[in-house]
Amino acid sequence: MLATAEADIVASQFLKVEAGISFNLFQHNGLGAAALGVGAVAYDPVGLTLRLAAQHQQWNDWQAGENRLLATLTAEPAAGLRLATGLAWRAPVFDAERYGSPFYWCTEVPERNLLYRVEWGFVRREQWQASGWLANFDRFTVHNPQQIPFGLRGAYNLGREWNLLGRCGTAINGLSGLILSLGEVAVEMGVQREF
Amino acid sequence: MSSSRRRLLAACSWVFVALAGCGYDWGQFIAHPTVEDRVRENLSGRLHAPGPVAVNPDSFSFAMFGDPQIEHDNVNNLGRLKADVQTKGIAFFCALGDFTEHSTPDEHDSIVKDLQSVGIPYYATIGNHDLFQSDGWEWFKTTFGPSCYPVVIADRVKLIFLDTADGLLGPTQFDWLESELGDGGRYIKIVGTHFPVFDGPEPTMGRMASTGERFKLQHLLQKYGVHAIVSGHIHGWRHTLVEDVNHFICGTMAPGGLDYGSGKGYLLFTFAHDSLAWQRVEFE
Repeated sequence: MLATAEADIVASQFLKVEAGISFNLFQHNGLGAAALGVGAVAYDPVGLTLRLAAQHQQWNDWQAGENRLLATLTAEPAAGLRLATGLAWRAPVFDAERYGSPFYWCTEVPERNLLYRVEWGFVRREQWQASGWLANFDRFTVHNPQQIPFGLRGAYNLGREWNLLGRCGTAINGLSGLILSLGEVAVEMGVQREF
Repeated sequence: MSSSRRRLLAACSWVFVALAGCGYDWGQFIAHPTVEDRVRENLSGRLHAPGPVAVNPDSFSFAMFGDPQIEHDNVNNLGRLKADVQTKGIAFFCALGDFTEHSTPDEHDSIVKDLQSVGIPYYATIGNHDLFQSDGWEWFKTTFGPSCYPVVIADRVKLIFLDTADGLLGPTQFDWLESELGDGGRYIKIVGTHFPVFDGPEPTMGRMASTGERFKLQHLLQKYGVHAIVSGHIHGWRHTLVEDVNHFICGTMAPGGLDYGSGKGYLLFTFAHDSLAWQRVEFE
């Protein structure tokens, strides 16, 4: 994944709109993923938030795509500790003419997955912050239940509303067979603007 | 020592004893040869792949199943397959990994005798249980040959076996697979492997791990017109048609309970009139 652009729009104290788009280079050139979501704060003291989101991801070289609906509950029960759980409905599309459409939801192999995220922000400075995460979903992706993805991510404040984002992660694979191995290490960079 | 520490120590001891006593070499869960290691050895030319069996080129049948998974008591369902060999005219069978539960020498000896006792030729590929001891890969390759290889039956049906014992394929095996699939449509192609690509609307943990690998594999199966991919690992039965590619989880020969599906058994393919038909054979 070469570049991502993300926007978080805080419409009110209790409502947040999230959007993002990513592009690939070198492999699957072009659009990689897009996401749109809305979050409503249900209980402010612990940041308990209900989020509904739609994701589209595509693999251009393989003429495959996947559209997803996500419903999650997130909370920050202690400073720097962010938790999330929820459910995803996934619609893989292998039709060569339709895999790139975020509006095509017919699939021969729909599935539901449980979602989880544990993230701990272990460094927080004025200009930058870093955290470790264990999660099977993010703004653009939902991983398979057979994987335990984990990694680090950081943010550097470029200006008043602009952040430079960096993320690296991998996954433990092969859980059901107990023959474990690490997946590829993915490195992502992007910018974020908060409105 | 406080009572809470004593309880914790006792609990840890019980866990250790339980893990050590269940017969697995737990170090192999991390230290096994990777799929890249195994595939490179498969493709080195040092391992001898089984050749095509002699069949009636106009009409023949073969069985595919997974997971005999025998334990020390050597209970399995291969005897029931043997009973079908004559009645259903089965010329050969394909076993898709997990030959034993613990991969111990006693279990190895038993399963080889049982496979041979069916009395017809067979092809094998590897499963995760076959790597549960430090000599697991050594046993597999010296007993059965490579874990990924092709074989063409009657110059018409091409079987391609893949190594997914880790739940992964790896880049080397993908490159090799694409070279094997690109035959210009000459053969009816069936891929056999241990881990399934799809596993229904509420997938268990028992299918291939990586979304990228699953989607790339589906793309290749579509692109090269593969008739079916047949897999085991999940002790059940499932048939899903994805863009004209048949995905089978083909049933099990294991003595234990099924994860889901309709009974133990196998998948029977019959080639006749230049086409391939399939039938689920379920044991009572």
